[in-house]
Amino acid sequence: MFSQRELERYKRQTMLFGEEGQERLKKAHIFIAGAGGLGSPISIYLAVAGVGTITIVDMDVVDQTNLNRQILHFDRDIGKKKTASAEEKLQALNPDITVNAIDVKIEESNAVKLIGKADGIVDAMDNYPTRYLLNDVAIAKKIPLFHGGIRGFYGQATTIIPGTTPCLKCIFPKAPPKEVFPVVGVTPGIIGTIQANEVIKYLLGSGELLTNRLFIWDGMQAHAEELCVERNPACEACSNMTTTKTPARKKK
Amino acid sequence: MTVKIRFFARFRELLGTDIVTEVAPGAMFSSLITTTARKNPAGYAAIFDEKGDFHEFVILMKNGKRIELTDAAKTPVVDGDEIAVFPPVAGG
Repeated sequence: MFSQRELERYKRQTMLFGEEGQERLKKAHIFIAGAGGLGSPISIYLAVAGVGTITIVDMDVVDQTNLNRQILHFDRDIGKKKTASAEEKLQALNPDITVNAIDVKIEESNAVKLIGKADGIVDAMDNYPTRYLLNDVAIAKKIPLFHGGIRGFYGQATTIIPGTTPCLKCIFPKAPPKEVFPVVGVTPGIIGTIQANEVIKYLLGSGELLTNRLFIWDGMQAHAEELCVERNPACEACSNMTTTKTPARKKK
Repeated sequence: MTVKIRFFARFRELLGTDIVTEVAPGAMFSSLITTTARKNPAGYAAIFDEKGDFHEFVILMKNGKRIELTDAAKTPVVDGDEIAVFPPVAGG
């Protein structure tokens, strides 16, 4: 049931998917790995949409050099834990949701427990080793992984449904080298918003997900395109999962 | 015969994209990319290692189908092929 305040808050989107759709968002728990460039727009849009429980994990402190893109964090937050800053902003944006902000490094030893009973994992990381770990947990729990990555004016996104679509290792078997990557804030804004849109559609069980397709954005050309991606039968992460044709959406 | 090479992300910054090039019949996938990338040393170094092999993270596609790096030297290109070369984008 919704309070009068919630009914008013979500009025313009229940026009799209009804109170039933809103109920599905409210009951959902989404895990966001990272409160940086991608994690900022993802968490903001999922919070205002009314996703009932958001767990957001980050181990960093807000730095001046983050502020060109990490819009969850303000100048006054420099030196604060990103999780504290994120929790404050998300809860201020929407006091009717639950925000769990966890200040920890996501590692093999804690990933399964951190993700817990979440309905989906959003990849807002800045490195492939942690992404592969999220991919493994998504496969083990049979929950979707909403992937995004950015560099400069370029970005990519895809929605991974274990057993149905290629996993992250099928698409990118080897990690690129680590670097301090250049970036302008609009790029994670664009890619993060696409990831949040995927989460909302998945939870609602409607629309066509970005599955079996790698979305590629070139901000310099203002050009988006997609490449078809396929499961790798020899994939070291997911080849033991039998392919299912189950529709890629959350169960009612 | 002509083929089209499409670079993405960092590779595109260094080498451009939608490069339509004339190739001799029998040309192999990897030699075509090598020749094209040589136009810019930084572009070449982004795609190939010191031994001239593809960096292990490079993704190759021919007409929308994945080509394994190990098969690139023995995969011929044919007239009208569209070739995609891209790196995983890692930032967040």
